[in-house]
Amino acid sequence: MDESRPLFVQIAQQIENDIIAGQMAEETQVPSTNEFAAFYRINPATALKGVSMLVDEGILYKKRGIGMFVSSGAQALLVGKRRDEFAAEFIRPLLTEATKLGISTQQLTDMIRKEETP
Amino acid sequence: MTTITAPATPAQRVINVVKLQFANPWTTLILPWMILGIIFLANLAVWAIIFTAAPLEDRAEALEGLQWSGASTFIFVYMMVVAVQTIAVTFPFALGYGVTRRDYYLGSALAFVILSVMYSVGLTILSVIEQATNGWGLGGRMFTAIYFGDGGWVSRLFIFFVLFLFFFFVGAAIATVWVRWKANGLTAFFVALGAVLIGAAALITLTSSWGQVGSFFASSGFVGSYAWSLVITVLAGVLGFFILRRATPKS
Amino acid sequence: MTSVVEVSGLTKRFGAVTAVDNVSFSIEENKIYGLLGRNGAGKTTIMQLLTGQDFASSGSIQVFGQSPVENAKVLQRISFIKESQRYPEDFRVKHVFKSAPWFFAGWDQEFAERLIDDFRLPMNRVIKKLSRGQLSSIGVIVGLASRAPLTFFDEPYLGLDAVARQIFYDRLLADYAEHPRTVILSTHLIDEVADLLEHVLVIDEGRIIIDDDAETLRGTATTVVGTRAAVDAFVHGRDVLHRDGIGGLASITVAGLSPAHRQEATAAGLELSPVSLQQLIIRRTNTSEKEFEVSA
Repeated sequence: MDESRPLFVQIAQQIENDIIAGQMAEETQVPSTNEFAAFYRINPATALKGVSMLVDEGILYKKRGIGMFVSSGAQALLVGKRRDEFAAEFIRPLLTEATKLGISTQQLTDMIRKEETP
Repeated sequence: MTTITAPATPAQRVINVVKLQFANPWTTLILPWMILGIIFLANLAVWAIIFTAAPLEDRAEALEGLQWSGASTFIFVYMMVVAVQTIAVTFPFALGYGVTRRDYYLGSALAFVILSVMYSVGLTILSVIEQATNGWGLGGRMFTAIYFGDGGWVSRLFIFFVLFLFFFFVGAAIATVWVRWKANGLTAFFVALGAVLIGAAALITLTSSWGQVGSFFASSGFVGSYAWSLVITVLAGVLGFFILRRATPKS
Repeated sequence: MTSVVEVSGLTKRFGAVTAVDNVSFSIEENKIYGLLGRNGAGKTTIMQLLTGQDFASSGSIQVFGQSPVENAKVLQRISFIKESQRYPEDFRVKHVFKSAPWFFAGWDQEFAERLIDDFRLPMNRVIKKLSRGQLSSIGVIVGLASRAPLTFFDEPYLGLDAVARQIFYDRLLADYAEHPRTVILSTHLIDEVADLLEHVLVIDEGRIIIDDDAETLRGTATTVVGTRAAVDAFVHGRDVLHRDGIGGLASITVAGLSPAHRQEATAAGLELSPVSLQQLIIRRTNTSEKEFEVSA
């Protein structure tokens, strides 16, 4: 687990999480950089870095004189990105831990099925 | 909201320091007048006792001695205390506000001059009333004591003013010695001062010149003699300025 | 970026003690700087030199392009709030707030009043009857409401309790965001202010040992945690800053891991955790002491 990502990356991920969860809808305005800074109690420059990163990735865009908005298609974009990272972020550590505990892939699959049942 | 005002001109900066010295009027205005009032009331009590106790024929004689009353001299020496306290306490505070030492000294000096004017005018008015009421109806003499000359209210006003300036600026100079060099510096200063005074007295005694000293002051008269104190006042003022130039607000 | 402060070869000696030793750095405008270091490292002395309150033994200081000593034009744009600030004992709190506006062109009275409310300062109380926390609040409020283009806070919040400190940090951030200015915070409580800082200056025994962007600095070390064998294998050949562990668990702090290295670590089942700025500076301070001895 890598918890030590830079602060601005963590901020960006928080925003991404909100977009994926649908809490920040597309084409709606997101809080200003200063509001983010105040909320997370971090330097505005750091918040700006995180927001800029999302702008560069096309997740957010700036409407001059008004503020930052969620791009249309952002949610789909992010879900796609997270899916790509899913294997590295979750599957690989899962397999490593399972190997440690001596759980075979078959047993793993059974466990997953069991957890799935509502 | 915020309006950025234009940066203060040199004159405004000095005035701001003057305002700072009067921001809390307790030490510089209220307390000294209270002390004066208390001394006056104490004197009043003494005069009343003499007035009523002395038999009528002796009364005038008893009251004549009052012109030597030194009661009112305390208020002048007290101004020295006010100056020392003011400078020692407001110097680090003013530096904390970004005031330069130059502006601070000029502003404080101006504040002392203003205070001297205020108090000397105040005392002069009281002296006039004292004369007019024949010593407050009891033959008392506090503001017209012999130390303040035998002339009219104009000469008294001058003498009061000069005396206040003297004690303010000498006090201020002593304060700058303390601010710059702290306890050690102050000790050194008083030792040096003592040496100078004793040395001068010794010199005069050895050359048997006390008579000359006496006649010098006699010929200058009250006003002239007190005017000479201005030399020391100005010296103290200038010295204080230069001493403060390199002082730091070490707490 | 314009620099508002340029320091070159600055040295300050108090008798035989060298408090500031040949220090050079520059401060860029409108950023929040942390001036960090242990007690007695030289933080306050440097601030006193930058604000003309004390005189340098040698070296040059330029603030807003000029020497700050006895320079009213420069000093009027500076606010220096220090922990040890003495107020006239028989002043009342209201006297301080009556006089402060005269000395700061950008003073915001409304803001000051809101802050006085926030910190619950009794306007009519005499200074000598105030608690340490209340005294600290006065300094903090003056520093914030002055809106001085260059504001120094020299550990003025030591007297404040945790709640008041958080109020200070919050107000500072909010006001800085809306009215950008250059802020320099000195403290030895690094972790509390770590996230507020954009740039970090670390002083140790009168010398600047770190002068870096905060974000960059945070990325220069990582703590790797896992079973001893796995961790040792991973850190082999790397720059180790600190070793720790208990039982079969090892926790080793290493310098600089690239994204590739990070993936390597997580794939190996190791946990990567951040090194707090405070930890990092403590480690680096120790290292540089050793380095000094070697190079001497």
